Amino acid sequence: MLLPHIFSSLYGRLLCAVLASGVILGLDLWRREASPPPAHAVWPVLAGAQKTAPLQLLDSGNIPMPSGMAAAHASTLLALPLSHPAALMAFWFSGDRESAPNVQIAASQWDRASQQWSAASYVVNRQVFGSQMGFGLRRLGNPVAWLDGSGRVHLFVVATGWGGWAASRILHLRQISSANSVQELVFEPVRVLPLSWLWNTSILVRNAPLPLDDGGMVLPVHFELGIKYPIALRFDKEGTFQGVVRMSARPYLLQPTLLMQSTQEWLALMRDDRPNGKVGVARTVDGGLHWADLPDLALDNPDAAVAGFNLAPGRMLLVHNSSIATRATLDLSQSMDGRNWPLVRTLEQGAGEDEFSYPAMAWADGELWVSYTVDRHRIAWQRFALGTAPAGVTP
Amino acid sequence: MNAWTMLLATDAPALPSGWVMQMGLQLSWSVVLAWLGALLVRRWTVNKPVQAGVALTLAAWAWLPGAYSASYWLGLAFQTPSVTAVLVCAALLRDQWVRPSQRLLHGAPAGLAWALAVLGTILGWALLLDTLALLPLQWYAWGFSPAASVLVMLVALLPWVWFRVAPGGAVVPWLVPVAVVVFVTLRLPSGNVWDAVLDPWLWLVMQGGLLRRLYICYKLRSLKRNKSAV
Repeated sequence: MLLPHIFSSLYGRLLCAVLASGVILGLDLWRREASPPPAHAVWPVLAGAQKTAPLQLLDSGNIPMPSGMAAAHASTLLALPLSHPAALMAFWFSGDRESAPNVQIAASQWDRASQQWSAASYVVNRQVFGSQMGFGLRRLGNPVAWLDGSGRVHLFVVATGWGGWAASRILHLRQISSANSVQELVFEPVRVLPLSWLWNTSILVRNAPLPLDDGGMVLPVHFELGIKYPIALRFDKEGTFQGVVRMSARPYLLQPTLLMQSTQEWLALMRDDRPNGKVGVARTVDGGLHWADLPDLALDNPDAAVAGFNLAPGRMLLVHNSSIATRATLDLSQSMDGRNWPLVRTLEQGAGEDEFSYPAMAWADGELWVSYTVDRHRIAWQRFALGTAPAGVTP
Repeated sequence: MNAWTMLLATDAPALPSGWVMQMGLQLSWSVVLAWLGALLVRRWTVNKPVQAGVALTLAAWAWLPGAYSASYWLGLAFQTPSVTAVLVCAALLRDQWVRPSQRLLHGAPAGLAWALAVLGTILGWALLLDTLALLPLQWYAWGFSPAASVLVMLVALLPWVWFRVAPGGAVVPWLVPVAVVVFVTLRLPSGNVWDAVLDPWLWLVMQGGLLRRLYICYKLRSLKRNKSAV
């Protein structure tokens, strides 16, 4: 008898609405984990004299391609722990051509014992994962790999919906096999990351994540439907999604690569979509909670991906296409302050329509590895060791 | 961390598990397809068993495995519809067969449906502009916070508070509150409350309805003016 009385009064109904909202809040909070602590990036392991040592090219070559496939693009490198028989894994997409129906994610690993790349294997097939998730993946694109706190490989793969690259989503996969080799690597789909209200479309991933001291990471991604802008995603040590932050207000910057200047002060260097563009920069000083645009670098950018890497505190590396109109030149530059980037060496110098693009870097077994696409047909690599710094010389 | 920070936190989203997402995808498209089928076939025949057969066949199509399923292709293009859209389709289906004398808006207070449509349209525009990074706020990301769920629930209950909608009356006032309950319970469809209460198709339908109403109002006003002039 009391309820009808309460419902007949405006204030009674208002009280009921507030109580119902309180129940919703309780249910909502019950389903959530606690907020993560502020993000602190992990300093690179190099220290002392190594911080200033020059890079010396050890060797170079091509990663084996899957047989019969004409196209290869967008490689990513994953350094593996010392307990693993391989020093690093490379993932890229391969098929008859870019965006072909038969494009899959291929992988190879650098074996520590034989000092060779293994034969390429396919590890992600769009039909298989589409069936597992219950909805289709039209095409596959850029992969990015990450090793979680339990030693499992996570792959973040561009997977398109109905349309071209602008209809992309990010498919999150997690290793379920216990095997060590890429031939036996098996993934399960975690989810398509929920990043946009507009049918969750037009978010792509390209560059490697920034590792955090809690075992988690920050994954740089970008939006590219008409306008472009960079986004940072945070994950915990198990690879659980922990939120999204827009990194720039400029509508022409994409494919951010993250570099740290201190544990909470990071830079994002970005590809510029405009003609005659320069490498764009954004910065955070609070571990990725807020980002602010900085003036462009002096480095030209021919609308091409860049890859950054923290070699040591105060020693950042950047692989980038340095000519204004083509991707025929691929340079390795380094910086102490993030603004001035003197050239270390030219990695590739082509002519005309040659293309050396989409670089990636990793540090494994005391060596720097660089991989990149050559003419969209193969993935090349170079390996550097740290030499002895001449007395009195700083990098 | 104080209570206010906890309410607004977007860094601890609770996302649905894989199998819940897959079930949600197939169930959602199953309901939407059943309603679309029933709507279309009603134009050609009044035969109820035929209408039901078409609706059930389309609903079952969403549950086939892999690429044989309608939800496989609809999910490829549009992911999962909002919970609100699914509830609207379910209510329309119910109206068609179970309570044919009633309609979705039957018994609803005057102007309520339009108020909801205006709110939904504004919310959709905010989310679209945010998607295109044209807002200073990160509106979509805020949908991962507990505060967003509570705010949506409170706003969704205001029509009931104000108009005192009787139990067993119009369904419209209860659609969004039920969608929020489903969201906080199962986190469907994505773990973001905006995806639960509004999707782009529902937003477009709302806008179409609003524009149609505005056009009718304009025509009626023109007619009245012409009559008074004569």
